[in-house]
Amino acid sequence: MITSIAALDLHISIGAEKLFSVGPIAVTNAMVTGVGGLILTIIILWYVGGRVKKGRYNRFVGLVQWVFEGLLKSIDDVIPDKKVARRITPLAVTIFFFVLFNYWLGVIPGLDSVSWGGIPVLRSLTADLNFTGGLAIITVVTVQFYAIKHLGLVGNAGRYFRNPFKDPIGSFEGILELIGEFSRGASLALRLFGNAFAGEVLLMVIAVLTSYFASVVLPFFMAFELFIGFIQAYVFFILTLMFTALGTSSHDVPLSENLSSTTLPKKVKPTGMI
Amino acid sequence: MQRSLIQFAAESTTKGGVFGALGIDWKTLVLQIVAFIILVWLLGKYVYPWLIRSVDARQAAIEAAAQAARTAQANAEETEKKIAGLLHAAQSEARDIIATAKLEASEALADADDKARARGDQIIADAQDQIARDIAIAKQALHDDTLSLVMLATEKVLGKAVTKDIDNKVITESLKEVR
Repeated sequence: MITSIAALDLHISIGAEKLFSVGPIAVTNAMVTGVGGLILTIIILWYVGGRVKKGRYNRFVGLVQWVFEGLLKSIDDVIPDKKVARRITPLAVTIFFFVLFNYWLGVIPGLDSVSWGGIPVLRSLTADLNFTGGLAIITVVTVQFYAIKHLGLVGNAGRYFRNPFKDPIGSFEGILELIGEFSRGASLALRLFGNAFAGEVLLMVIAVLTSYFASVVLPFFMAFELFIGFIQAYVFFILTLMFTALGTSSHDVPLSENLSSTTLPKKVKPTGMI
Repeated sequence: MQRSLIQFAAESTTKGGVFGALGIDWKTLVLQIVAFIILVWLLGKYVYPWLIRSVDARQAAIEAAAQAARTAQANAEETEKKIAGLLHAAQSEARDIIATAKLEASEALADADDKARARGDQIIADAQDQIARDIAIAKQALHDDTLSLVMLATEKVLGKAVTKDIDNKVITESLKEVR
């Protein structure tokens, strides 16, 4: 099976491929699609914002506003501190919409068929570790920013560094917490990248394997990928909120109390890594 | 697939290790972070405030409507209680009226019954008196008729006019015989 797939000469590259350079910056195919996703996100949200501002609603505006309202409710549910919740809203909501639109752009039929010098011109931005890694870094830094703002520099450092002579278990727990911060960032980046990349590869493989029946079979997989895109966007969004909630909760209170059922939606209780 | 793995392995040795093989380029990474932060700032300044305001306004309207509904519900419950009280009082009053009416009706019935009975007794007594009188009159008439018939019969038997003395004598004897 592997041999037969390999014999089909699929163009699969883990990293985004360079198309050309602008000064010192290498412009990759993921960046090209990312610019499209960026413009799409701005246009849609700007249009909706403008319509809402003028009080002129239609079905599309209502749909986006409904999604926005749901996201706001999730933010309020997960983050108990209303001030922090309102401040984290732009980042969390932008993550959701930007990831969603870029993921969905990767599902466009024939995305990889347009090539330049043998390199596909378009590739989903979410299938580029530079983007997912960047997003994870932004999330982790933001969480640390609000944690320091909420707990103070010493208070936040106290989450990781404790006196091993006074509290040996706590100090070990702090080291684990520190490692956890890095692993959370890495898991955020790799999860989104892995899903998007695997989705693109899956679509390619299905297209090649089904040959003439691709037009019948592919729509089902595309619909599935659209659904996965929504799930991934929401997971990234909700994990950003949860990490912020964890970062801004006092370490004197056990996590189980901080993350009570009143502050977290039941479906996303941090019982393990998602 | 094998080619991809080989390609990945080859890239990891040539282009900056594992990060290079995964396509991570620090300049691109920083550029994308900056671009995303600008996007967040832009949307956070010009788009989200309107959406948040709209959602807040809608939630406030929903809350106000819910409050109004709660008030209306409370008023309805209070009115319902009042109505139930009034209904209860009306039912109680109606029961009293019916009981009183029944009592009065039974008293009136008993009174009428007594009156009717007395009247009936009176009528019966009058009727009995009348009957007694009628019987006496009838007896007297019968007695007179009998006397006349006997006198006529005697006249025919004797073939002579019966004087008063004879008549009386014969009649008396005849009656004795009859008896």
